[in-house]
Formats: sequence, structure tokens, C-alpha cells
Amino acid sequence: MGLRDLLLGRRKLKEASTDQLFALSTARVTLETELGLRPAGRAGICFKPLSAGEFARAAGELAELLTVAARDSDSRVTQSTDEHGFQWIVVDDPELEDLITTVHLVGTDLAARGFGAQLLAAVFRFEGRERPVYWIYGYKRAAFWPFVPTGRGQERDNAEELKLKAQLEGELPVEQDLTRWLGLFGAPV
Amino acid sequence: MKRSAFGRDAGLSVRMLLTSGLLGLLYVVFAVVLFSILNVGLVAMLVIVGGLALFQYFTSDKLALASARAKVVSAEEAPELHAMVERLCALADLPKPRLAIIDTDVPNAFATGRSPKHAAVAVTRGLWERLERREVEGVIAHELSHVGNRDVLVMTLASFFAMLAGVLVRFGMYGGLLGGGRNRDSNGPPIWLIVLVVSIVTYAISFVLIRALSRYREFAADRGAALITGAPENLMSALQKITGEMARIPQRDLRQVESMNAFFIVPTNIRSRAAGLLQTHPPTEKRLAALAEIAREMGRPV
Repeated sequence: MGLRDLLLGRRKLKEASTDQLFALSTARVTLETELGLRPAGRAGICFKPLSAGEFARAAGELAELLTVAARDSDSRVTQSTDEHGFQWIVVDDPELEDLITTVHLVGTDLAARGFGAQLLAAVFRFEGRERPVYWIYGYKRAAFWPFVPTGRGQERDNAEELKLKAQLEGELPVEQDLTRWLGLFGAPV
Repeated sequence: MKRSAFGRDAGLSVRMLLTSGLLGLLYVVFAVVLFSILNVGLVAMLVIVGGLALFQYFTSDKLALASARAKVVSAEEAPELHAMVERLCALADLPKPRLAIIDTDVPNAFATGRSPKHAAVAVTRGLWERLERREVEGVIAHELSHVGNRDVLVMTLASFFAMLAGVLVRFGMYGGLLGGGRNRDSNGPPIWLIVLVVSIVTYAISFVLIRALSRYREFAADRGAALITGAPENLMSALQKITGEMARIPQRDLRQVESMNAFFIVPTNIRSRAAGLLQTHPPTEKRLAALAEIAREMGRPV
């Protein structure tokens, strides 16, 4: 934030960055062979809908685009709204590559329409351990962080998350500021 | 629609620049006058006032939370509030502030802290209970905008010389009472009187300017809240509810939190007849009108 914006009190919303998303497909081998985590075939994109009619139209067009894209890659796309009023686009596809491509498509499409700032996070589900492991991509941070809910209320397994951070740091852009590790409890993913 | 179409308000920016410019000019004049007549002792005084300002700046969060009797709550104690704030912070790309709850029925909220990393946001129990979730979201986004705009820093800087003038007014009065201060020459007025008059004038003008700046920062935070939530109408209905609820609640309850007025999203002394120039917040109608304008820019007339 520049001095002028500070003096005038007009901090703007940061735009979303989708650049680092594909790093997850590079990290896939390590995740699967060394950590025993395989993609669960499901990912979700979470964004804050605007009340403006313009946004509803953009979201509608995006949904159409996704339906077409889904038909090509044999994935299934569903939409829902969570208890916090955030909108979710959930993609089902056995191929991690296809999941990432769709998530990337949503990000670039919303950004191209001028709504990139509304994107909150993308969530990728992994299985193979006692509990499901989520890798969350923060659009504003352009980085990933692990999220392992224990299933008991709003509790997360921090020890496990820190271990995952240490193991994946070399291959994945992992968010270093732990206070930014947003948890998405009750995500439809 | 181009998102860049909203997010700034040229008129507001001009008014803010003008106010800070006037304030800066006033302070320069004040400092020049002081230095020319009080070249000894002023450095010590600047150091003392600077120390006071720094102390205020570094303890602002603790002072504000303590004087509002706000209790910091953990994620286990208030999971819903924490989840809401976490998401808004992620959208605004701000670190999550500490969260506190004030045990009063008056719906209100404030933000404090010298930097986003040391920020705290406090909401009253009344706010959480009387408002709908999306309205609370608007209020919290307003407070997060104050944090993002570094309003504690800006206002501390803006009031630095006003503090010095305030100290000098007291000092000058003691000087006058004790008969201290020697005349430079037998004909001119005593130095302490000049200092007193200059300080009083500086204090009075800076008070009005600082209040104006505070009101402009409120407009800016309202705009920021509209940007973060994407729904100015939620903050609008929250402001209406807060103002309406406060008018209905007996004043006794309000006085408990009155010292916190400058911090709150809506000041509690709404019934006072103080002139608009002296208020820390713009009148609710003006804020609603500005928000309606933002809503229109965003493509949603309300």
C-alpha cells in the first residue's frame, strides 16, 4: 500500500493470483509415494458473491462455461452456498490434473470479468490417512497450506499440518505466515 | 462492469488531502511561533509529548480494550465470530486480529491497534445478538478497513501537535497563575500569554480539523466494507439498526461505554446536540447516502 493510499484511506482489495496452482500437480508424486496421500477426486472453489446484478450474470455465464468444460473432461460440477453466505463450485473428477485445470479456469474467468478479488480459496481433498487432508490454495496469498480437521467441532490437527508443511515445502509454495492458514470447516469438499 | 470504477471517491480524497494539508500547515505555523519565542525548553517538551504519543501508539490496543471492558475471546469460545472474521481477513488479505467481546446490550463495535499485526476488533454482545449475520459481517468489514487503512497510526500522527498544544495550554495557565515568565522587554505582553494564546488557537483549530479527518476516515472505512463484503446494503441496514436500537435503549447503559465513542462504528451520544463540525462520525444519514451511491456504482441501486 502506497503512502498516498494510506493517507487517503483507500486500501483496495487484492486481486486473485492463480499462478501457483499448478505447483500442486508437481507435488503430487511426493504426496502419493512418500506421504501416502492420494487425490480424492474432489476440489472446491470458494468465493464471496457480490450482491450486484452484474455479478449474478457473470456467475451464470461461468456456470455455463463450466458445464461445457466439464463435458469435455468428464468431470461433474455442482454449486452450493455455505452457512457463511460464500458460494462454492465443487468439481468431481478422478484426475488431479483436470481438477486443477477447472479450478484454474474458474479463477482466470472470474478475474477476466473483473471479479478476481471475490475469490477466497480453492480446496483440494486428499485421502489415504486416518483423516482426510486438505490442501487449501489462498488466491490472495498465491500459496498453499494444509488443513486437517479432526472432526470434533472446529478443531484442527496442527501437529499434522506442520509436519505436512515441512515435508512439502521444497515442492509446493507453502504459506509461511501461520496466522494466514485459514481453516474452512464444513467445506462441501 | 469494471471493478476499478468503485473503490475510490475523488471528492473524499480531495477533502482528506485538504484537511491533512491544513492540519500540517497549522502545525508548521505553531512550531515556528513556538521555536521563535521559546527556543529553550521546547526540545524537552517535544521529547515528552513525543514519548506520550509513542506510549499511546504502542498501548492503544490494550488501553482501548481495557477501557471498554472488552474480553478477548479464543476460537473455542466464539467459533462463529472467529470463522467469519477469518474469511473476511483472507478476502482483505489482512492477518487475523485478536477478537474481543464487550458484555453490553448496546450493538456496537470498534477496532484498535497500531498495525494490522497488532490489531484487535471488539464487538458487543448486543451487536452479535440483535443483528443478522450478514449485517455483523458488514460491521466487521468496516472495522477491518480501519485496520487496513492504519487509522490508529494516521490519527496519532494527526493529533501529535494538538497534544503538544494541549500540554502548553495547561503549562501556560500555570505560568500565568504562578506569575512566572519574564518579559522580553517591558512593553510587550508576557511570553507565557503569547504561548497560551497560540496554543489555545492551535488546539481549537486542530480539534476541528482532526474531527473532520476522523469523519472522512469513517466514510473511507464504509467504502472499504462495501468492497470487502461486496454488499453495501448489509452495512446500511446494520447502521440503521445500530442507530435505531441505541435510540431505544436507556441512556444509562450507553454512558458506560461513552468514553469509547471515537472508536465505535456509531458513536453512542447520538442524541447530543453537538454541532456536526465537532463530531467524530458523520451523521448516519450521510453515511447511508454515501453507501447508496457506492451500491449504485456497483450496479445495485438500493
